[in-house]
This record gives sequence, structure tokens and C-alpha cells, in this order.
Amino acid sequence: MGKIGLTLLILFALMAVCSFIPPWIDPMYQPMTGVDPEISQSTGPSLRHWLGTDFMGRDILSQLLAGARVAFMVGVSAAFMSIFLGTAIGMFAGYTGGVTDTLLMRLADMIMVMPTLLVVLILSSLFGQLNIWTIVLIIALFRWPGVSRVIRAQTLSLKHRPFIEAAKVAGASHLRIVFRHIMPNVLPLSFLYMTFRVTSAIIIEAALAFLGFGDPGTVSWGMMLQWVWKTGHMFKAPYWLLPPGICISLITLSFYMLGRAMDEVLDPRLRKEEEAG
Amino acid sequence: MALLEVQDLSIGYRTKKGYLQAVDGLSFVLEEGTSLGFVGESGCGKTTVGMALMGLLPPNGSVSKGRIVFEGRDLLKMGEEEMRRIRWRKIAMIFQAAMNALNPVKRVDKQIVEAILTHDSQKDEEEAMKEVEGLFQLVGVPVERMRDYPHQYSGGMKQRAIIAMALACKPRLIIADEPTTALDVIVQDQILAETRNLQREFGISIIFISHDIAIVAEVCHDIGIMYAGQLVEYGPRDKVFESPGHPYTRALLASYPTLTGDKKRLTPIPGETPNLIHPPEGCRFCDRCPGAKGQCKKESPEWIEISPGHRSLCHGSP
Amino acid sequence: MRETNLLMNEMARPILSLEKVHKIYRTKASLFGRSGMEVVALSNISFTIERGDIFGLVGESGSGKTTAGRLMVKLEEASSGKIYLDDVEINALRGRALKGFRRQVQMIFQDPYQSLNPQLSVLDTISEPLTVHGIGDGESRQELVRQAMKAAGLSPAEDYLHRYPHQLSGGQRQRVAIARAMVLKPQLVVADEPTSMLDASISAQIFNILLEMRKELGVTLVFITHSLAAARYLCNRLAVVYRGNLMEMGPADTVIQNPCHPYTQALIDALPKFGDCRDVKPYGTLLRVDSEAREVTGCPFYPRCRKAHRIKCSLEIPPLREIGDGHFVACFYATPGSRGEARSDDACFYGT
Repeated sequence: MGKIGLTLLILFALMAVCSFIPPWIDPMYQPMTGVDPEISQSTGPSLRHWLGTDFMGRDILSQLLAGARVAFMVGVSAAFMSIFLGTAIGMFAGYTGGVTDTLLMRLADMIMVMPTLLVVLILSSLFGQLNIWTIVLIIALFRWPGVSRVIRAQTLSLKHRPFIEAAKVAGASHLRIVFRHIMPNVLPLSFLYMTFRVTSAIIIEAALAFLGFGDPGTVSWGMMLQWVWKTGHMFKAPYWLLPPGICISLITLSFYMLGRAMDEVLDPRLRKEEEAG
Repeated sequence: MALLEVQDLSIGYRTKKGYLQAVDGLSFVLEEGTSLGFVGESGCGKTTVGMALMGLLPPNGSVSKGRIVFEGRDLLKMGEEEMRRIRWRKIAMIFQAAMNALNPVKRVDKQIVEAILTHDSQKDEEEAMKEVEGLFQLVGVPVERMRDYPHQYSGGMKQRAIIAMALACKPRLIIADEPTTALDVIVQDQILAETRNLQREFGISIIFISHDIAIVAEVCHDIGIMYAGQLVEYGPRDKVFESPGHPYTRALLASYPTLTGDKKRLTPIPGETPNLIHPPEGCRFCDRCPGAKGQCKKESPEWIEISPGHRSLCHGSP
Repeated sequence: MRETNLLMNEMARPILSLEKVHKIYRTKASLFGRSGMEVVALSNISFTIERGDIFGLVGESGSGKTTAGRLMVKLEEASSGKIYLDDVEINALRGRALKGFRRQVQMIFQDPYQSLNPQLSVLDTISEPLTVHGIGDGESRQELVRQAMKAAGLSPAEDYLHRYPHQLSGGQRQRVAIARAMVLKPQLVVADEPTSMLDASISAQIFNILLEMRKELGVTLVFITHSLAAARYLCNRLAVVYRGNLMEMGPADTVIQNPCHPYTQALIDALPKFGDCRDVKPYGTLLRVDSEAREVTGCPFYPRCRKAHRIKCSLEIPPLREIGDGHFVACFYATPGSRGEARSDDACFYGT
């Protein structure tokens, strides 16, 4: 399963990298501003435009490639930030215990039950269109609780293991124990969760863009879907509708597959050797 | 006819790194009413033997050759259905850490009753409960504790309950794999004594598997020493201890401390156990053997008879 | 031969002493109505350990021996009582003084599969204490690590330095743990059942390594174990603990050949033995079935003791009193047991 996921991801990564090529070939291929002087409406696939053009005559393929770039950016940054926060808070809460732990976990609970999408919608309706990075930040701020619970649980179970006690007896400070002994044993789990977070970040961004709350200056797959819908081309231009939709589904699937495959890799290392007896 | 006769049994596991030869060419005979102990360190194959006898090898394990003849019939040739009927009724097993095998949400007496009824549908619950009472008295658990839950039992009591369960269907053979490892010394001693008594009274045959020679010595008539998947010495308990034939047996005995008299330096065995995925051609112990000769590395040793019933798998003289 | 004799003559000051150490664990009240219970892990324990001793703390599960070990390395604090390392009371230690303490006292844990960080290589694991205390630099640290590994039998060091725990056997892991404990050249090392998860022949290796290291470094060892036989092999003095109470204490050979407390005698009777044991007579101090008394105010061993007096032993706690040279017993009716003539060709061996 991991191999399929990895292959797909490499494909998408290639797409993202290639997104720089079309505008370089000809400015008319610029996803946002490129306008084909001869076309000013949505047309089907042709030799000049392999996937056709959108309602303004912009090349769909370059938009698709740019969207891949955005998906990775948004997905990976949001995931990375939320994991970073979640791991730090989870380790801190788990190791410290007591009142701090309880307070942090209650905070996590409160945030966890808030629907991220709704909050962003409300915020953008209050503050107008949001910048893509603001969106990434908000996703990160609302998505750390899930990870932190898991990391906290792992920290709790590690805290009492003999090798941690050995570090204490050797004289290691709490800080050293957390960073040198607990963190390396918790990071594999963090990375695993990161793959899941990427999928949710991409979907949230796509949903926001689709609903019209995304960053209007950024071309993302969700944004493409919004344009299709808004300009009434949903049933008229499958060459425009299908590619972004399929891409969103596939990239989410591939990250998920990767995550599941990583799950297997992590387990045997943590289990002790079974004797054949 | 002997109760159990194992002939040239070989068992292996499919692992990611290759085929692991866990047991190689094991042969022994168990007469009715006697007890046999398998002693060896981790990785020697003794637990695998126990599981194979019960037909409970894990999915990646398989018997590559040999016969297990119980009451005249080859268990390896039996179907799963027949094997199920033999399991528990004729052969019962006490697993390692068996205390954890008790269902924590059911009363102990009910669990044993269930075991009885599953294997003898002709009994009714009342009869079974009476039998359980008798069993508890036999194994030394106070009858008034019968209706408790497992977590209310101490470690020793749980182990006794497991023994009661194994005896419930009056099997002819019990296979006990490290049944006392998790218990304290005093409780262990009591349980071993009770095992001896039960064995004498009811003539049950026992196969006792342990890493500790001393424990096996307390309970068994005959001893089999296992090393790297092979049986390397076999014989009556006293003879094996008095005049051990195999260098491994001697080395093993020398790693146990004494309690009285002069303190001799314990002599550990240098080196490590061989890789069973690519077992060595000759004797498996020769790398660590003080008396190894050139022949040992190249040729597999044959059985030497040291005295009637006592044999050793070694090139050298005993 | 006893190297300890030389050391003991040189320094008469005890290195570790426990005074009336009491440790209680409270279980939290659970949701289902069970109110918080108190478990007394150690009950007013007092004893001293001399520099250079190998001191055995022998007991079954629930005896409190592991708790005592943890208190000695300050993994936990005593509920009351005092513990002195070299005349310094350790309970009050903080900051720099605490760090200094940590340099002098180390521990070897029971489970070799859990006591090493799976993400750290052997080199990292053993040099951890050096890094923590800022000793030496990269190169000199490696040298110290190599020395420790050699002493622990991990030679040639090259073969092991860059391996990870999951690539090592149980015996090898335990040797890494020993090297880690010894690399700081501490004054006191507490070994908590270091061989209970290892095979007999590997255990023998570990015992010999501990003996060697003690000879080389002059470190004092506290050996916590459930095996009297192992304690006899390694230790020059031992103490028998039962349910948080010291039952008997004294020179190892004396306590084992001449046990005076009914519990010690019961332990010796219960040891599985093999070989020529015909002449071994049991002490027979254990009741077949525990008597009904559960909540005991007197001697903790009363419910199982055949020799106990119904009134005196169930109401009064017997104090630890000296009955011989350095030999202490906590029993009103201690009768010096004896194994008869010590057989010099001891053909009777004991399991661990």
C-alpha cells in the first residue's frame, strides 16, 4: 500500500515542480493572469491547451500544476505546524503531569470540539478575504489537539520506563530527558500523524476555496472548483471540473496510504524481540 | 505401548530473515505415569515442542518431518476436528504466564465448569460444579474462594486454578510450560510438591518445560537437555546429574551456585547460541565446547549410550 | 578470596545507612467506591552498608526490596526516616549537591529490554552519564566508554559501539547497562535483580562481571534479588526482607548456613535443588495453610509461622536483635538452625 501512495505522491510532487515550466514557456500559460489572446472563454482540450481553458481563457493544466504546488505548501506547512505544536504541548503535558497537564488537556478538548471550517468561515466573514498563510496558521492552531493527546499518552507510557529512570539516576535534567530521551521515541508517532494532518489540511483549504473563502490571489484546486461552479460550467466543462476534483481525492488518498504503511514500519522497532523458545 | 512416542521431529518457522530450524530431529519416549522434563535456555526449542504436541503452532510454524504418536496414533496426521477432541480431554497444556489466561470478567468456578462442559457435553452443570469443588480441594485452593473473580486471587492461587482447569477433563498427559516462573520461591515449592503428589496419585504423565534445571529436577523422572533445537542429552534424572555426558549439560550445571560448602567460581559458557536460520554443519555446540575436536565441526554427532536409558549426542567420550 | 577484608580494614565508616525508613504508597480512590488504600512498602527499616561490601537484599515479591533500592538512588523519597550516603542526609539534597549525589550512586535495572533507550546507540547510552556531568570531551569520553565496555565484557568495543539495543541479546544489553552504571566510577551501585530475566549461563557471566568490576573499582554493591543462592554467591553480607520488614541480617555465609529466622529457613527449604541432596534436612517452619489472621499487628510472618506463639507473636513486633557476630534476627524464638556438618564436596545445587 505504501508503494502506491509513495508513487502517487512522487507524481504530484513532480506536478508541483513542473508548475514553474508553463509560464516560463509563454506568459499566456500563467495560471492567474495568463490570458490567451485568441481565447476568452472556456474551451476543451486542444494542442495549445492540453486540458483546455477556463472561463477567462486561462490554461487549465498550468492551473492544475500550480494547484499541486499550493496543495503541498498548504498541506505540509499546516501539518508541520500543527504537529510541532501538538508534539510540544503533548510532551510537556505528559511529562509535567498535575495541574498543568489537566489545564492543557482541557484546552485541547475545547479546541478539538470546535469545527475548524466554521471558525475560518466566521473569521473571514468578519475580516474579509484571508491570506493563504493566515489560513494555514488557523488550520495549525485548530488541529494540534488531536496529535497532542496521542503524544501525551505516549509520553506517559514512556515516562515510567526503566531507561528514563536510568537517565534520571544518571543525573539528567528534566529538559534533557524530554529532548534526548522522550522526543526521539515520540517523533515517529508525530511523523505518522503528520501524514494524516496533511490530508485534512488540504481538504480544509479546498473546502474553503470552494466556498469562496480562500485566498483569491492563489490558484488552488479548491479555487478551480469554485470557478467552475460560480461560472455555471459544472455540467458543461468536464475537462475543467474533473481534474481538480480527482487530484484532491488522489492526493489525500496517497498521503493516507503512506501514513498507513508507516504505521507498520514503526511497530516492530518498539516491540521487543520474541524468542523462538 | 508407550503413551507418547516422538520420532525424529523437526519443526521450523518462516521468518522474514529465512526459515528458522527451531527443532531438529527430536526423538523420545514417554511411558504412562512418568514425568519428563525438557530443560534448555531461551531459543533452544523447548516451548516449540510443547506447542507442536498440542497442535498449536503459530501460523508461520510447521512440522517439516517426524511423527508424534500418542496412544498409538500419529497426531500430525489428524484433522483439526479430531485434534480438538484430543486436546484438553487427553492432553492438556499449561502455558507460560498461564495466570493471565483466566478471563477477568468471569468467576473462576464458572470458567472451569465451562471447560468441563465444552469437552463432555453429557454432563450437566451441577455435576460439573461438584467436580470443580473436588478439583479445588485437590489443588489446595480453599473451596469458599471458588466463586471469586481472578483478580481476587493471589499469583499462587491463580496458578493452582489453572492446574485445576488442566486436570478438569482428567487428561492422560499434561504439558506444563514454565508454570512457576512468575511465582515466588515458597509458592513455587508448594506447587511443585503438589504436582508431584498429583502425578503419583493419578498416574498422570507430565511433560515439564523449564529453563531452570533445579525446578525440573524436583518433579521429573527423566530429563532431556535441549540446545539450539536439538536434544543433546536424555536420561533418568539422577543419572544425568550424577554423570552428565554432554559438555553442554556439564557447563549448564556449573553455572548454578551452591548454598553450602566452598564457593566455587561459577563458570559461564562463553560465546553465543548458533544462528538457527543457518545452523552449523557439525555439532551445534562445538564453538563453545571446551573439549571440541576437529571432527566436531565437520560431522554431526551421533547418540552415545552412557548407560541404559541414558544417552548423549556427542563425539567425545562422556 | 575476600578482597573486601582489606577494604573493610581500611575504612570503618559505613557508606550507606538507613534509619527507620518508612515508605507508604497510597492508591487513589477509584470511581467504583474503593476508597484510597494505604500499602506499607517498607516498615521502619534500619541497616548500614560498609564501604566495599556487596550487600544482598533478599526477598520475594511484595517484600519491599525494590522499593528500598529506589529510595537509595533517590528515584523516590521515603515517607519518613533518614538515608545517609557518607554521612550526608540525602533527602534534603537539591541542585548541585543533588547532581553530585547522582554521580556517586547509580543503578542497574531488572529488565534489559526496557532499561536502554531504543533510539540511542551503545556509545550514546554509555556516554550519557559523562555528558550529563560534563566530564571530558568527545575523545576522552569515548576512551572512558571503551574502558567501561571492556570491563563489562563487551570486547572488542568496536563491535558494539554503534549497535542499537534491538540488535543485542539480553545478556549483552545488561552488560551495556552495567557499563553505563560504572562509567562514572560511582561509589555505590544498586543492582535490582539484574539477572532475573536472563538464562542461568548468562546470569553466571553477569555475576562474574559484577565481581570483577567491584574488584577493579572498589565500588560498593547492593544486590537486590529473590534468589538466596545468587546472594550467597555474590554477597558478603545479606539482609532478608519480608513485607517491608527486616527479618534477618548478617554475613552471607552465616545467614545461609545458620539461618535463625523461620522465614529465612522457609526460604531455604523452598529452594529447588538438584544433585545429591539426600542429606539436606528441611527446617519445616512453614504452616501448610496460612492461618486465618490477615490484619496483623505483631510479627508480619505470624500467619505462616509454625513456631509462632499465638499471643506474643501476633501482638508484638519482634525487634531486630543481635544474636551473633554481626548476625541480627527479628524473632522472639529464633533458634539457630544448622545444616549439620558443612559438606565440603557440596553436591547439592540450587536453582536461581
